[in-house]
Amino acid sequence: MASLLNRPKLLVALVAVVFLFCLGLAGGALGNEFGGGFIGSPLAHIQLAAEPILSAPIIRGLPVFGDVYLTNTMVTTWIVVSLLLLLAYLGTKNITDTPGRFQGLLEAILELFLGLAEKVAGPTKGRMFFPLFMTIFLFVVTANWLGVLPGFGTIGRFEPASEVIHHAEKKLKGDGDHVDLSSIHLHKFEGDGRFVFIPFGSIGDVLTAKEIEGHGHGESKNGDRAGLLVPFFRSSNTEINTTLAIALIATIAVHWWGIRALGIREHIGKFLNFRSGPIMLFVGLLEGITEFARVLSFTFRLFGNIFAGEVLLIVIAFLVPLVGLVPFLGLELFVGLIQGFIFSMLTLVFATTATMGHGSEGH
Amino acid sequence: MEGDISVLKTIAAGLAIGLGSLGPALGIGLIAAKAMEALGRNPEASGPIQQNMILALAFAEAIAIYALVVAFVIIFIG
Repeated sequence: MASLLNRPKLLVALVAVVFLFCLGLAGGALGNEFGGGFIGSPLAHIQLAAEPILSAPIIRGLPVFGDVYLTNTMVTTWIVVSLLLLLAYLGTKNITDTPGRFQGLLEAILELFLGLAEKVAGPTKGRMFFPLFMTIFLFVVTANWLGVLPGFGTIGRFEPASEVIHHAEKKLKGDGDHVDLSSIHLHKFEGDGRFVFIPFGSIGDVLTAKEIEGHGHGESKNGDRAGLLVPFFRSSNTEINTTLAIALIATIAVHWWGIRALGIREHIGKFLNFRSGPIMLFVGLLEGITEFARVLSFTFRLFGNIFAGEVLLIVIAFLVPLVGLVPFLGLELFVGLIQGFIFSMLTLVFATTATMGHGSEGH
Repeated sequence: MEGDISVLKTIAAGLAIGLGSLGPALGIGLIAAKAMEALGRNPEASGPIQQNMILALAFAEAIAIYALVVAFVIIFIG
């Protein structure tokens, strides 16, 4: 205690953090129950599918896919890709034998993972698998870490109530069911700009679609606009299509390597084994099913972790704003790193086992 | 009628993730316990032990994530 008193800066910081935490506790949704709630915001709308940030489709009437919308996860994915491209360009623009700080950092990262790949897969195979392994790691980790930045999920386009109800009706189409207006929650927004964010201290500004029925274009009784916020940015791995794409790329690459290393006959023979009796045939078929299950578990592991993390952050920010969120941001950074590591590492391990024939397994 | 269904959905989602995370939680605990044991016996092997532990944890955790996805589907889609 005495040592703390001798360091006034630390003491001030500690008091400030405790004060902010108490302020968040009283001002958030928890305090709202006891008459506080002065800085809290309403619980943000949580949606499983990615939201289109332009209300009109960018490509109309593709043969299989129909209308293509510009979604917020697409935008984030492009940002991630351009960031990585920029990093690669700047890092390789003028390579020298005595690396500077930037080049040294990139080399250290790459060498760490090259060492890992060579240890797991062996020197030659490790170098073969390394590009995909490293790319998956960098992409997943960059995307996950980007999603923790402020502005993700909080700034966006205003979607008027009529549009929200229309979407809900479209989803129910064919059931012959009516949309339950009292189950659609909307937020109130001030002003009339197209860019909106959820303001501080608006915790009570939630209304259901039933309340504004018959008020025209999403106007509430006092003339405030009612609708939802469609964020411009959303972490790319919270969309299942992104993670499915990475999983498919990884799995197809694994099989491609397997075919290249063993020949198509032996590679398929792992799954359709007619030579060693019925039990081995069954085992092979099971292994074939496992291959499909791998794609699913790749997809859902990354998606589930990142989406659940996003929901966790939203709920904690709703309950305890300000510093209450900080430990969870740290947790999300950690989870993002671990998930990137797991995804790339599993790809490497699967690739290693796929390129090993039955004969060379017991080395 | 609509209200009843949404209550049922909430209960179902809670049960799905609650029961679905029991097994993976036990599994993750066992994996971590065994890894600690191995670490105690052979502290020099901490690098490979940690890597393999994380990979094994990923497999165990994937099951909990399936339950989570089922819960999400019940709430948001079903």
